[in-house]
Amino acid sequence: MPKETPRIAEWLLRRLVPGREGEIIAGDLHEEFVSRGGGRLWYWAEVMSCLAVRLSPHRLTAPDLRQDLHYAVRVLRRNPGYSLTAMLCLGLGIGVNSTVFTMVDELFWEPLPVPHSDRVVAIGRAGEEMTCSYRDYVDFDRRLAMPGGHQFSGLLAYDDLATSLDVDGTSRIIMAEAVSSNFANVLQLPAQAGRWFTPEEDRPGSDPVAVLSDGAWERRFGRSMSVIGRRVRIEAQWYRVVGVAPRGFLGVSPPHTMELWVPLMSRPEVTQLLANAGERERPRVRLIGRLAPGIGMQPAEAAFRLVDTQIRREFPRDPASTPAGLVTVAIAAGSTMPAARQVATPISILLLSVTGIVLLIACVNVANLLLSRSVVREREMAVRRAMGASRWRLARQTLAEGLVLAAGGATLGLSFGYGANQLLARSLPALPHVGLVTLDLNINWRVAAFAAVIAAASALLFTLSPAIEHSRQDLSLSLKSEGAPMRRLRQRDVYVVAQVALSLTLLVAAMLLVRAMQHAQRIEPGFAIDRRLAARIYVSEPEYTPDSGQLFLARLLDAVRATPGVRSAALSYTTPLSFSDAVCTAVERDARPHRAASDVVVPGYFETIGTPIERGRQFEITDQAGSPGVVIVNETFAARYWPNQDAVGKTVWLGCDAKAPRTMAEVVGVAKDAKYESLDEFPRSFVYRPLSQSWVGFVALIVETSGAPGDFTAPLRGVLHRVDPNLRVYEIQTLEQYAADSLWKLRWQASLLAVFGGLAMLLAAVGLYGIVAYAVAQRTREIGVRIAMGAQRADVMWMVLGRGLGLTAIGIGVGLVLSAGVTRLLAMLLYGMSPLDPVAFSVASLGWLTVAMLASYIPARRAMKVDPVVALRWE
Amino acid sequence: MGDHYLGEFEQIVLLAVVRLGDNAYGVPIRREIEKRADRNVSVGALYSTLDRLEAKGYISSWFADPTSERGGRSRRYFRAEPQGIEALALAKEMFDRMWKGVRLA
Repeated sequence: MPKETPRIAEWLLRRLVPGREGEIIAGDLHEEFVSRGGGRLWYWAEVMSCLAVRLSPHRLTAPDLRQDLHYAVRVLRRNPGYSLTAMLCLGLGIGVNSTVFTMVDELFWEPLPVPHSDRVVAIGRAGEEMTCSYRDYVDFDRRLAMPGGHQFSGLLAYDDLATSLDVDGTSRIIMAEAVSSNFANVLQLPAQAGRWFTPEEDRPGSDPVAVLSDGAWERRFGRSMSVIGRRVRIEAQWYRVVGVAPRGFLGVSPPHTMELWVPLMSRPEVTQLLANAGERERPRVRLIGRLAPGIGMQPAEAAFRLVDTQIRREFPRDPASTPAGLVTVAIAAGSTMPAARQVATPISILLLSVTGIVLLIACVNVANLLLSRSVVREREMAVRRAMGASRWRLARQTLAEGLVLAAGGATLGLSFGYGANQLLARSLPALPHVGLVTLDLNINWRVAAFAAVIAAASALLFTLSPAIEHSRQDLSLSLKSEGAPMRRLRQRDVYVVAQVALSLTLLVAAMLLVRAMQHAQRIEPGFAIDRRLAARIYVSEPEYTPDSGQLFLARLLDAVRATPGVRSAALSYTTPLSFSDAVCTAVERDARPHRAASDVVVPGYFETIGTPIERGRQFEITDQAGSPGVVIVNETFAARYWPNQDAVGKTVWLGCDAKAPRTMAEVVGVAKDAKYESLDEFPRSFVYRPLSQSWVGFVALIVETSGAPGDFTAPLRGVLHRVDPNLRVYEIQTLEQYAADSLWKLRWQASLLAVFGGLAMLLAAVGLYGIVAYAVAQRTREIGVRIAMGAQRADVMWMVLGRGLGLTAIGIGVGLVLSAGVTRLLAMLLYGMSPLDPVAFSVASLGWLTVAMLASYIPARRAMKVDPVVALRWE
Repeated sequence: MGDHYLGEFEQIVLLAVVRLGDNAYGVPIRREIEKRADRNVSVGALYSTLDRLEAKGYISSWFADPTSERGGRSRRYFRAEPQGIEALALAKEMFDRMWKGVRLA
């Protein structure tokens, strides 16, 4: 008697291999089961083996996927309005994300533009900016780089400097790199014109030479070949140009742009420090190396650390002043270069989060669009279900449409992104004291891959809900006339509320930054900004010695002060709100010195700059080089070191090394606190020193004018020229200009956020419009009935409008709560302002409300125009 | 013509189909392989290979009427296509060339 085939196993079989296939296999197994006379275990084993059938690239499913895609394209082509809208929304979302990602990629992963950049590594030291001292570098080079070692084919040392470049009497502040002579060899850099450095040129005392960047060649020399052999001047030193770097090479300190390269040994500060035999630790340099063929990064790093330890043992040094971090070796790209990391990380996080939200809002729009389409295609789906398509099939169909939309969106997005890249790159300001930052935003494979990934992820996201909808429908209900709109509508309502909330959050953040900017512009700087002009001048050696320089500057000041239109004038080392110097100070002989910001000024400075002296006195003519050292400190300094005491009369030791001889100075005055580097900085300790006791040749001439300061630029140049025609004069700017420039970062972030916030609002408004328009379409019949029954058209419009406004109100409410939580993260950028600033919140909400009214009103008007006769006939 | 050379199991299945001629459906194919090649074949492995061969165009299949021995289910018969025969011939030739002159101690 033939037994029954195990029922459960058979059921499992049918689920594993659905359709006719499964039937065949079940038949086979049945036949064999009978002929074998039973065997449940065998049957089960056979059923389990059918997993292989399930997982194999089934003949019947492969064409299905192609079929799905074909069908998806057909559907989308038949409804161009909906597909275009969806692709545009996606394009916007993906576009802004790819632009920001391009920037992030450039800052973090872009390798140096040199041959075989995957073998070029940056050697750093954990926790430090600089890697090692120059003498250590020489040892490293001898032991690790060919021919002495096997790990590196070359090691180079470099440091960057902000300095001034004089070409034919025009001076500009630029960034340059001082490098070892093997710079071009290690990086395998050709020269566009001329040549790079030879080893002889990197020796102390040799004729100083320089290599220009392509940009500098274009800007300062018009790409003329006569540049080779020309002389340019950096501070006190003349350099002979021997070559031009290749186009596109901007130095090894991204994202900063270098204009010039010079040998390390041509820098007087380097040779001076090296001349001091006892000084092993300075000057400090950074290292870049090219890995020898076949060596991996791990062995190279290990070898480096070994040599590092050896060197420390052979040349013991003071552990307190020597950094002890471990050496790190990493591919020289983007964020491994120390400067880039500081610039990159906070901006990247902020911008990526913001663009992520924009994409989310766009996805919600597309999801809503798909949902509204799904209602129209209800019947089609129901028929297919009835014909045997499984729910998974229908969901897959929806996913295929989503993928096609996402592909279209990604293409559009990359095109938008390309245009936006150009805009973004140009929007970065070129502020010399910040260091010219160039972003070369190009779409590379990483960006394209990123766009593809987020497009696919978005597709998954926005087809999730419609796919579930399609497969969940109750057949009988759909095959009749209208479906059940209520339940589906609620889901869309939630989406719209989410969109409104999210875009409101972005808007609030943007408003906060704008307000912070306004607030910052009103911050008390602690000195007078109006009617003041600052010019940077350079009194250089060898024309002037410190003594003759002092005399010259005194003469210059007299001449300027005597000029009509000048109320007062003074000199200082730093330019207000531009950069500040620093010294190490200690208030007790044996205490460890701390750094404090500092400036070097002349008598009369505090009146000219408008910073009052609270206690004690100013510097005076009697404070000379030979007289006892004096300093003036600010309130923060005094409060920090001598709380509740009078700082006047106290002693300060100036100098970073407690064991070396230091300058002792007496505090003769306390100045009011001011802003020294940027308007939104926190209070800091500050020390003023007299120019007569610490000579600097690079000074700012600060002039208080009686008229408009901007008008005084040319007359000032004239006066200076008359005093000394060879005097090098750099930027002349009003203090107001410096103040405005110092807020560039805040301004940049505020603009970006405002743009993205606006975009998000636009997308959400489109979503809102969609939902109201949809409601009108759905309820046409109902509206027709009401109008036929005598309702006023205006009332009908309000009925429809009510929904849109109601959703917006809820969205705004949720958004406000969300913003209150999120904006706390922005607190760092909002110095002096509360992250819950009511003005920002209300302006953003009111703005949204207005837009929402507009977005709802336009489709609602259509409700008013409904012809009841037509409506009642509509099915 | 066609894909790469046939895999070993694909050859075995294809040969079985050729041998069985008009009677090549699931059960006898399995039995033939078990008898001649002395290999235990699970129904899953068999059908996934048959599907693969069909996708490559080496065999084709058609469905016959249901029979009571199978509890009322139909059968799926397989037939070798000319491409498949050609692939088999090529595979055999290749092995012959590799074997030529080889002596196993």
